[in-house]
Amino acid sequence: MGRGYIVQDDVEGYLSKLCEQKADPVTGLLIGQSSTQRDFVVMAIRTPQKEESAAAARNSVDKEWVTEHARQVSRMLPGGLSVVGVFIITDADAKDALTTLRQLLYAVENLISSEHLWDPADDDVTDCVTLHINPKTRKTVCRTFDIKDPKSVAKPADWKYQSGLCSSWATVSCSLNVDMLLPLPNNRTSTGNMEECLKEGLKAWAHQIESGLCLIDGKRLPEDSELTVGQRRNVRQTYTAQLLITTENKRLTDVIEQCGGSVSVTGVIHSRAYLHSNKPKARLAEKLLKRDVVSTVATRVQMMLEELLASDQESKGSCRDKQQKELFCLPHRIFCPLKVSGPLCVCDYQFSDEGLSEVTERLKEMLDIDAAEEDLDTRQEMTFEITGCDITPEPTQEKVEAPEHKKNYIGVAMATVVALLATAASMLYLNDI
Amino acid sequence: MVVVDSETATVLRVKGLLEFRCQLDSTDEQLVRNVISRTFETLRSQVKSESCVLAVSDSPVIIWPNKDAYATPEEITPSTLCEDMHQWIQADEQESSGKKSSKKKSKKSSVASVINLRLMTEVTKPGPLSAPILTKTVLKSHFVSVTLPLDCVVCTGRSDTIKDACEQLIEALTHQLCEMEKVTLQNMKGMTLLVPEPVHFLLPEPKGLVTVVYPVGVPDSQLVAQRKELHQQFELPDDRPYFRRANAYHFPNEPYKDGYLRNPHLALTHPTLDNGKVYLVQGIYSYHHYMQDRVDDNGWGCAYRSLQTICSWFQQQGYVELPVPTHKEIQQALVDVGDKQASFVGSRQWIGSIEVQAVLSHLLGLTSKILFVSQGAELASKGRELANHFLTEGTPVMIGGGVLAHTILGVAWSETTGQIRYLILDPHYTGAEDLQVITDKGWCGWKGPDFWDQTAYYNLCLPQRPKVI
Repeated sequence: MGRGYIVQDDVEGYLSKLCEQKADPVTGLLIGQSSTQRDFVVMAIRTPQKEESAAAARNSVDKEWVTEHARQVSRMLPGGLSVVGVFIITDADAKDALTTLRQLLYAVENLISSEHLWDPADDDVTDCVTLHINPKTRKTVCRTFDIKDPKSVAKPADWKYQSGLCSSWATVSCSLNVDMLLPLPNNRTSTGNMEECLKEGLKAWAHQIESGLCLIDGKRLPEDSELTVGQRRNVRQTYTAQLLITTENKRLTDVIEQCGGSVSVTGVIHSRAYLHSNKPKARLAEKLLKRDVVSTVATRVQMMLEELLASDQESKGSCRDKQQKELFCLPHRIFCPLKVSGPLCVCDYQFSDEGLSEVTERLKEMLDIDAAEEDLDTRQEMTFEITGCDITPEPTQEKVEAPEHKKNYIGVAMATVVALLATAASMLYLNDI
Repeated sequence: MVVVDSETATVLRVKGLLEFRCQLDSTDEQLVRNVISRTFETLRSQVKSESCVLAVSDSPVIIWPNKDAYATPEEITPSTLCEDMHQWIQADEQESSGKKSSKKKSKKSSVASVINLRLMTEVTKPGPLSAPILTKTVLKSHFVSVTLPLDCVVCTGRSDTIKDACEQLIEALTHQLCEMEKVTLQNMKGMTLLVPEPVHFLLPEPKGLVTVVYPVGVPDSQLVAQRKELHQQFELPDDRPYFRRANAYHFPNEPYKDGYLRNPHLALTHPTLDNGKVYLVQGIYSYHHYMQDRVDDNGWGCAYRSLQTICSWFQQQGYVELPVPTHKEIQQALVDVGDKQASFVGSRQWIGSIEVQAVLSHLLGLTSKILFVSQGAELASKGRELANHFLTEGTPVMIGGGVLAHTILGVAWSETTGQIRYLILDPHYTGAEDLQVITDKGWCGWKGPDFWDQTAYYNLCLPQRPKVI
C-alpha cells in the first residue's frame, strides 16, 4: 500500500510552466508536511540557476548545488513545513531519472537532518517522495523511498491535486525568551572555538526545550487529543503555545573553571508551526513547534558564525590582555505569506544592515517567490537599535558588529559551508548508493 | 505518615534545580563576592517573576504563583483549598489528565500528607520583545556553573488556599536562596566554591519541619559548630543529634532505596492498659529478619538479625556512618576481639546478648547494658526498667534466651496494676517485605508475658546512646 500525496493545485501550474522552459533537466524541491495517514505538498521550488555555469554544464544535475539549495531552503521554512521530496523535469529515460532522483533525495535529506539539533522521534515519517515529469508527454511518475533505509526500494505513490488545500491549516506560535551563557576555553577564543562552544550549548538548550512541558492555549492537552482544526473553512485557526522548562543536569562538582571569556545569546524570538487540517494531534503540534524553536535559534547563530568566518573578523587586533566585548545582532525573522489562500508563510532572516529589498531578492532566488516589500511581516520580532549601548567602559575596545553582506547569498554561504563542512560533505557524497 | 503539628493539613514540598552561572572577571575577593551576590539576586528575582511556575507532580495542575496564583486546569482558582489538591493527584498507574473519582481513602485524617511540586521556568512569556543578540567577551577569567538544588517545605493549615500557599512557597524559595548565598560565601576559599544543599529535619513538636542549608561534600564531623548553633537556636538538648545528615527527614511518599521496611510498628494499634502508658523506641530502624540479603540463616541467625536492626537504628539516627554489618562481618568482629576462634567466621553458630554487646562496642563504639533474668516469668517485673530505657535511651533492645532471640521495641506498662505488654519485632520471619503480612501475622506485634519461656533464663542487651550532637 503506497503513500498518497495531496498537492496544492498551484503546484501543477508551476510545474507546467517549468516544463515549457528550454532547460533540461530542471530539478527542484517539494515542500510540505508528512503525517502517518496522509502527505501534503504545498509548494514546489526549482533549483536556482548557477551563475557561472557553462551551457554544457546546464544539462547535467549538480548534486552539490541541489543539496546546498535544499539546506538554505529548509532554513526558510517555519515549523511544520519541510523538504519532503525532490522533482526532476526531463525527457531522459525513466530509470535514469529515478536513479538521479534517488541520489538527490538521499543527499538532500541526509544533509538537512544532519543539521538538526533534535533526535528523530518514533512517530516521524521517514518516507520522502520523488517526482519525475516528462516535459513533452507531461507524464508524472511518483515514487517514495524510506530515508532511514539506504537500501530502500522505490514504492509507488499517489499524486493528487486539490484546491484550497491549506486554507484550513492551523498555526501554533509563541514568543520565546532565550538566555544562554557559555564559557569560552582558555586561550582559544577564535570564532571557530566560539562555534564549538555554541554548538554544545545549543544542544544542551535544545534538550531542555525538547523535554519541556507544552501548553496549548493555556491548557495541558493529552498527547492524543485532537486539535479542533479544519472544522470551519477559511477561518484562521491559531493557537498560542507556552513552554515550561526545567534543568535536568545536576552540576555539583568542578563548579569553577578557568576560561578565556564567555559568549551569551539573549533575546526573544518568534516561533511558529503549521498543522495540516486532517485531525492533527496535540503531540504533533508540540513536536513541530519545539523543533521550530530550536531550529530558528540554531539557524540564526549559525548564520552569524558563517558571516563572521567569511568576513574574517578575527584578524582585527588581538589585544588579549584587555577585556574585549563584542555585540552581534542576530538576524531577525521576517515572514512572507504564500500566495495560496490560508495561513502559510515562509520566513527569512534579515541582518541589521540589510534592507527589505535584499529579503525579497532572496525570496525570489531561493524560493522562487515574487513578494513585494509590503507583503512582508516584520513585526513579529524586535530589531536592535544600536544607539549608545551600555557596555562596560573600555571605549577603544567597544565594537558593535553588523557583518557585511554580499549579494550572491547562496554563493557566500556555499563557500563558507565548504570551508566548515569539507570533510563531512565529501563523506556524504562518498556514501551515496 | 508523620504528624507535623496538629494544625497542619497539607505539607507542600517544592523541588527544582536552578542554574547559577556567572563570569568572574577578577580574582579579587570582594569583587568575586559581589558577582556571586548579584547572581543570587538575579535568581531571586527570577523566582519572584511571572516566569516562575510550580507544577504539581503526578497531576495536570500548574500554578503561576506570581500571577495571583493563576492555575490550569480552570477548575483550580486562587481560593481553592490546598487540601483539595489531593483530588487531582493520581496514583501510579492512572493517567494524570483529570480528576480522580471522589472515593478518597483517608486512613488517618489527623496526619499531614505531602504534595510535591516541581519548580519550572516559563520561557514563553508575552511582554516586551528584546532583539536577539550574541555577546562575546574575551577575557582570561573564571566561569562559575552550578546547579542549585532547591528544596523547600511549607506547612499549610486546613483553611489555607492556593493563594496563601503560593505566597508562602515563594517566600520560602527566596529565603532559601538567601541561605544558600550565605553558605556559599562562607565557604568560598579563593577560586573554589562549595555547592549549598538543603536538608530537612523533623524536630520535636511544636517546632516541626525545619530546613538547613549545608555545603555539599563537607562531612558531619566538620560541621559541629553549625550544629551547636542550631541546637541553641531551636533550644534542643545538646546530648543527642538532630541535625546530622543521617537525621534528615524521610518524606512518606519517598521509597527507601534499600528495600527494607522502616518502623513497621507504626502500623499497629497500641494496647490500652488501666493506668498504663506506652513506651516506644524513638527514631527510625529497619526491619532485619531471616533470609534477607540472600543469606539463608533460617534457624540460626535470629540474634544476628536483631543486632542488624539495632545497628540500623544507630546509623539512621546519625550516630554511626558504618553500614549495617553482614553475618560474616559480625563474626569477624568477634574473632577480632578474641571472643571466638577464626573458624567461627562462615559458620552457623548462634550468638547471644553478650556477643551482641561486644560487636556493638567493637564495630560501632557503643556501650550497652546487660539485664539478666533467671526465669522468663521474672520479665513481667522488669516493666519499670524497660519503660525507663525507652524513655531515656529509646534504642531497640535485643533479648536472647531459651533457644530464641528477639527485638523489643517498646513496652506498655501500668505502674499501678503491673500489667505489661511487649512490642516484639521477630527476626524469625522468612517472607517478603510485606507490611500487611508482617503486622497481621504478628511478626511485629504486641505480646503478653506468656510469650516468654517461663522457666528459661534471658539476657537483654540495652544499647546506650552516645552523648553527642
